[in-house]
Amino acid sequence: MTFTLAVHSSKGGTGKTSIAVNLAAAYAQDGKNVCLLDVDIRGPSLCSIFKPETYFWVNDLLSGKRGINDTIHDVSDEFGTEGKFFVGYSNPDINEIREIARKDRNWQSTALRNLISGKKELASKNIDIIIFDTSPGVKYESINAVAASDLVLIVHNSSAACDNCTDQLIQGIYSPLNKQCAIVDNMYHQNVLETPDEKKFGIDVVARIPCMCNVATRNREILTLAEPEHVFSKSIYSAKEKIDRRYR
Amino acid sequence: MSENELLEEILKNLQAINTKLDRIVGKKESFSEPEKEDITDSLDIMTLLSLPDHLRTTATTLFEIGPATAEEVSKVTFKERAVESNYLNQLVRMEHVEKYREGRKIYFRIREK
Repeated sequence: MTFTLAVHSSKGGTGKTSIAVNLAAAYAQDGKNVCLLDVDIRGPSLCSIFKPETYFWVNDLLSGKRGINDTIHDVSDEFGTEGKFFVGYSNPDINEIREIARKDRNWQSTALRNLISGKKELASKNIDIIIFDTSPGVKYESINAVAASDLVLIVHNSSAACDNCTDQLIQGIYSPLNKQCAIVDNMYHQNVLETPDEKKFGIDVVARIPCMCNVATRNREILTLAEPEHVFSKSIYSAKEKIDRRYR
Repeated sequence: MSENELLEEILKNLQAINTKLDRIVGKKESFSEPEKEDITDSLDIMTLLSLPDHLRTTATTLFEIGPATAEEVSKVTFKERAVESNYLNQLVRMEHVEKYREGRKIYFRIREK
């Protein structure tokens, strides 16, 4: 059965895209068929990592101009993954981003329906895992992705602002939508070897990843594929196992 | 003033009051028009979040499974069919959901603008 994750956070710069990309690659490397979709249509990221050659974008899926088949691309051969690895990109063109910023509630309502239809079509094509890389905070595209997911993976850093806003998101968005949630404590500054908190805000912490400069400097690589023994990669593989064990 | 003149005066005053009332009612209706337009927008996720718990669950289910009968919704939400039928009809009255017939079955779907 297809399992859908929305990687979300209350604030920007917490490492959502790194977690989403590396987790997707880890699943694909383990033989799962994966589809990673960039739904951060106001601040696209995946096109910087994968260098896509594409005519159609996630934007076209959301607006109903194209189906999911036209908007995803197989990168399995490029990365040599065991399972199929598909990626859907948001259009990085500034004119398109400006157009998106003008969309109204009716468009967003249709976008949610199209996202759910796309998800169902992926399920019928034997995709095991769908991962939405979202934009931070309460934006339509992100909350649509949260609504369409089975699990919200909250990427969190230890700032006070992130703490407060994450708590609000849990109370005001995830709980009312009855979503399962898990936390990735990213860029963790304290001693990761200490007994870790099992829970934060009453939610399971599935990974605590130390702050490492060499993760930031290697942000054009997919570490879970390039260096599976790296501390970051091991944390991602471990998070993946916890997610599979507890939520799927 | 004779009795007839008095009645005519009362009638004239009543007509004046009537005209003023019509004007007030007319104004009120024209004020409420923009709100009505607002309500007839499609149901978006932020509006859905502001619905009461029971209606939000029903509307979320309808988003997830697409057009469905009250019975099909009730199988997902684990509530009685009659209860879901009531909730779905509330959403229809709020203009978030539309209802249509196919053969003998009544279907509900999220309203599209």
